[in-house]
Amino acid sequence: MIRLIFSRLVGALGVLLALITIVFLLRAIVPGDPAKAAVGANAGQDVVNRERHVLGLDKPLLQQYVTYVADAARLDFGQSARSGRPVRDDLADFVPATGELTIFALLLAMAGGLLLGLLGATAARGSGLLRLVLVIGAAAPSFLLSLALIYVFYYKLSWLPVGGLSSVNNAPNGPTHLLVIDGLLAGRLDVVQDALAHLVLPGLSLAFVPAVAIGRVLRSSLLDVYRTDYIRTAEAKGLHPLAILLRHALRNALSAPLTITGLQVGLLLSGVVIVETIFSWPGIGLYTDQSIQFGDLTAIAGVTLVVGTAFVLVNLLVDIAQALADPRIRPS
Amino acid sequence: MAVTEPFNAPIERRSVLLPARSSFRALPRSERFSLILLAGLLVIALVGPFLVVDPTIAAGQPFESPSWHHLFGTDDIGQDILARVVYGLRASWFSALGVIASGIVIGGVIGLVAGTRGGWIDAVLMRFTDTFLSLPGPVLAIAVVAALGPSLFHTTVAVAVVWWPWYARLVRGEVRALAVRPHVDAARLSGISTGRLMLRHLLPGALPPVIITASLDIQNLVLTLAGLSFLGLGSPPPSPELGAMTARGLEYLVGDPWVPLVPAIGVFILAAAANLAGDGIRDLFEQRP
Repeated sequence: MIRLIFSRLVGALGVLLALITIVFLLRAIVPGDPAKAAVGANAGQDVVNRERHVLGLDKPLLQQYVTYVADAARLDFGQSARSGRPVRDDLADFVPATGELTIFALLLAMAGGLLLGLLGATAARGSGLLRLVLVIGAAAPSFLLSLALIYVFYYKLSWLPVGGLSSVNNAPNGPTHLLVIDGLLAGRLDVVQDALAHLVLPGLSLAFVPAVAIGRVLRSSLLDVYRTDYIRTAEAKGLHPLAILLRHALRNALSAPLTITGLQVGLLLSGVVIVETIFSWPGIGLYTDQSIQFGDLTAIAGVTLVVGTAFVLVNLLVDIAQALADPRIRPS
Repeated sequence: MAVTEPFNAPIERRSVLLPARSSFRALPRSERFSLILLAGLLVIALVGPFLVVDPTIAAGQPFESPSWHHLFGTDDIGQDILARVVYGLRASWFSALGVIASGIVIGGVIGLVAGTRGGWIDAVLMRFTDTFLSLPGPVLAIAVVAALGPSLFHTTVAVAVVWWPWYARLVRGEVRALAVRPHVDAARLSGISTGRLMLRHLLPGALPPVIITASLDIQNLVLTLAGLSFLGLGSPPPSPELGAMTARGLEYLVGDPWVPLVPAIGVFILAAAANLAGDGIRDLFEQRP
């Protein structure tokens, strides 16, 4: 077990180094001189040269690369051209909101995927409707989903709020920076309720596509398991269908959906850019969108590194969780 | 069996595409419908631009409601939304096909070489491929377009850069499975070159799964490309792209909902048609006569 975790860790480190290398190469191929961009087009050549020296751009490319890797390992992503602050500080401000939204959406997606998968595998009736939901879910762009939800539940029905994290003014700015948890810790149930209400629509927009993907895989792996002999044995023993489903079938069908869930985190992390832009959710996605509009490549590089690392770590955890759940994956 | 046949019996040449030809009629109705719908969208993409007005000029007053004159209404500067959606569908569709094609070509070459040569070449190429597979593609694509500068072409290039690894893995797996089959041994023993072995004896066998995967994959590409366009990474306005049209129309959702909704629904229809047609194409290939 230890050996498996160690080998996966080494693999993940290799992938992270590749990620840093790709981002470094992207910065290197960018047309235009970042030093010139930093000091302005009207600056004299000596000013530009001094800036090049400060940014380390006058060094050989290989040395720049080593510096970049070392900086990235210390979470130093450079200075944002838009905000004038270190990208790390910007990200620290924006990460918690994204964390809250992605975790919420991931929980929704797993619950929805479980429901869709179970319905798809067990219900014979209504499978046409289910297929329709699956096709719509797979084909609807997240911005269409967001717009439809906003139009119905905000403008037409006024059931749910849209825009930002919360409408409570003196919300606790507590230890975790996750508003729902901070509200709970401070005993402010009004804040918790308000934050959850703000989470529902962006969470649903974000969770729908992964839920459908998880549901599809779960359905097909459940159907595979139901064809095995030991399920027939369980049925012949006269076990309750629910007991068969929960104790025998589901457990053995979870491996593939788990892998897909890990991969869906990557989709969540890119979908979050669009959904946060639409819902003015003050997270990394909104930050990315604003950096794109401004052409702030340093900030985008920082976001790519952080999000890519999160993705690699989540899939590492999924790998290890799978090995724990399924002894066949462990090396002998 | 074959023992009694004359040694130099004529070889029956059969296309790998053969099973797809006869079974169109055997498809379920929904999948036949979607294949026809997709063909219709292709026709719209090809001839549509000759039928609608110029999408970049003010063809009417701003915010005209849908009417006979402007079927989907006009946007904030009076451009005809139908015309813009037709051009946008064309851009979405062709760029998705372009990415698929380059994904197949790049991934196919890498997979074919890795699968045929084996050894250290295989190990190096596949490690390279797996590294790309372990990174979040769409996020990487955002960074690539941001570095190259926003335009539809750069978006297509960026997505192609992150899209090929799936095809490399797929082709390599198929080639490895084919390489141990007797007909490949026979071809190798007959002394043909490695290049000819790859192209004439391994590639055709690896093609059907690639076509199936690609046809199911097109919808993901349509959605990914539309998402990048929504973020302002496509060509700058006034060029008509569905994602960018939705993004710019967001603020009019309350009063004139068709401005953002029509292009978004356009993306949805294209993706849904591609999805169902992908199912249909898979069924066509998997129904062996």
